[in-house]
Amino acid sequence: MSARKGLIFTEREIRFLRELVRARVDFMIVGLSAAALQGAAVVTQDIDLWFKDLEDPRIRKALKKVGATYLPPIGDNPPVFVGDNVELFDIVLSMHGLGEFDKERKAAIRIPLGPFKVPVLPIERILRSKQALRRPKDRLYLRVLGDTLRTIKASKSRCNKG
Amino acid sequence: MRISIARIKALCRERGETLSGLLAAAGVSRNAFYSLARRKSVFPRTLEAVGARLGVRPDALLTADDAGTEEMRALLADVDEIVRRNRGIDRETARHTLVLLKEKPVDRLRRALVRSQRPDIH
Repeated sequence: MSARKGLIFTEREIRFLRELVRARVDFMIVGLSAAALQGAAVVTQDIDLWFKDLEDPRIRKALKKVGATYLPPIGDNPPVFVGDNVELFDIVLSMHGLGEFDKERKAAIRIPLGPFKVPVLPIERILRSKQALRRPKDRLYLRVLGDTLRTIKASKSRCNKG
Repeated sequence: MRISIARIKALCRERGETLSGLLAAAGVSRNAFYSLARRKSVFPRTLEAVGARLGVRPDALLTADDAGTEEMRALLADVDEIVRRNRGIDRETARHTLVLLKEKPVDRLRRALVRSQRPDIH
């Protein structure tokens, strides 16, 4: 795993995202990694990817390009990507408290990740999902995400005035 | 304001060093050092005059040539205003967010991932 080698989210992981974008796969980054990309001071162990259709053959192609594969759900175990370059990514099947993928995808923001942009679920929607889940670990972040959102809005408002 | 040789010597002692050794290590000649130390004021007359007119010591007119410090001061002023205008907002979160917004998104994400691998980082 990249982390064990002392490097996290290197060109190897970025390449997988680039391949997904290049292949026009319908996906977006969600969860705390999406919040982090937007400026939230959070901690996360993985990057959650929400796909419109996991059966989309373009996902397999993107995986193949980075030397990884897809392992479908086995018993109670969710589907996973397998390979050194994709270990940081988790597959999300649905987002609690939110609408259908297509609706949420329309509101996604595009954030630059080097030379390309990735679709990312806005903090407002991440907050909404965490509020719906109400698991102890989600509750921990409600205040942080709420205050982050207010800070970003206040900061933008100041910039616009300035 | 003048150089305090006693103070410099005391600092040298704390570090187990002599004044001569310090000057040699710093690449400063004894002549240059003592020439400066003999002056009544190490500040240029211009600064003394401006300070006197403003009623402050000349060192109060100085700032460290440190862009990072100035940037952080400006950021903290922004935090103050955001906290003042947004009741109940957590100051730490506002500060961290403003710091992160200055970084590239990819670096923000790396921070979040690294911190989860390094629980000793706060």
